[in-house]
Amino acid sequence: MRVFNRIVVILLLVGLIALGAYTVVYSFELFGYQLSNLSSALNGFTSGVEGFVSDVEDGNLPALTIAILAAVALLGLILLFMEFKPRRPRRVRMQRGTYVVRDIVKDEVSSAAEETPNVLGSTTTVAAKRKPGAKVKLRADVRRGQDKKAIKSDLRERVQQHLARTGVPLGRLKLKLVESDPRQTKTRVQ
Amino acid sequence: MTNGILQIARAAGEAVLATEGVHSLGTGRYAEAATYEGTEKFTGVVVKPDELEIHIVATYPLMRPIPDLAQLIRDRVATESGGRRTLVVVEDLEVADEGL
Repeated sequence: MRVFNRIVVILLLVGLIALGAYTVVYSFELFGYQLSNLSSALNGFTSGVEGFVSDVEDGNLPALTIAILAAVALLGLILLFMEFKPRRPRRVRMQRGTYVVRDIVKDEVSSAAEETPNVLGSTTTVAAKRKPGAKVKLRADVRRGQDKKAIKSDLRERVQQHLARTGVPLGRLKLKLVESDPRQTKTRVQ
Repeated sequence: MTNGILQIARAAGEAVLATEGVHSLGTGRYAEAATYEGTEKFTGVVVKPDELEIHIVATYPLMRPIPDLAQLIRDRVATESGGRRTLVVVEDLEVADEGL
């Protein structure tokens, strides 16, 4: 479910729960609430809404309310744009009607990373692009004090070669090297 | 019109399985990939009016790059596809049984 739908459903369910709770409380006259008082409670609510609307019409809203309303409008606009944006594909498109699932790309990248000297462990995230190719984020653990630039370049080359051998087009490769304690990484001794 | 789509799926499935580098037919990752006709179904090949969707598990290590394997599959099923566009989805890689 997308964000917009999720927000709508959450608001709807919260409203239904509140309505149900009110109905139970007023029906069984719990906590001193009586059904005969319901109309006065609703009157209080409607007069509050009417007061707010007349304030809007008169332009008498406090700055904080204006800011909140502007933020809600902006959020609505952002969600609307997000909803219009086409969904990201689940499979990585290669060429001429060939697709590969993301896990395969992830495994290939991970094996390339683990074959790289001085890389102690790795975490890979793969996203499919709308056009052919995969967007890969790779976080590799290295020992403290090592030449990160050299490792990064070696790692990039290996991942590119590995994927080229498989035939997976690489859309974007984002590498991040993190200095880690070898005792806490996947590969402890190299 | 729908008559025989299961036959098409079966024929395409056999042709795909005979392709070097294909370990097995896939079952679908996010939804079942199958062709249904009557009370029967064939998993791994989806026959649509203008498209033939083939789900495979490739043999690992790969004998050739995935696009080449997909092209080989396309060539193999060309006679069965009845002019439909062929899509190949690689769902998984499976280590080849060396002893067989």
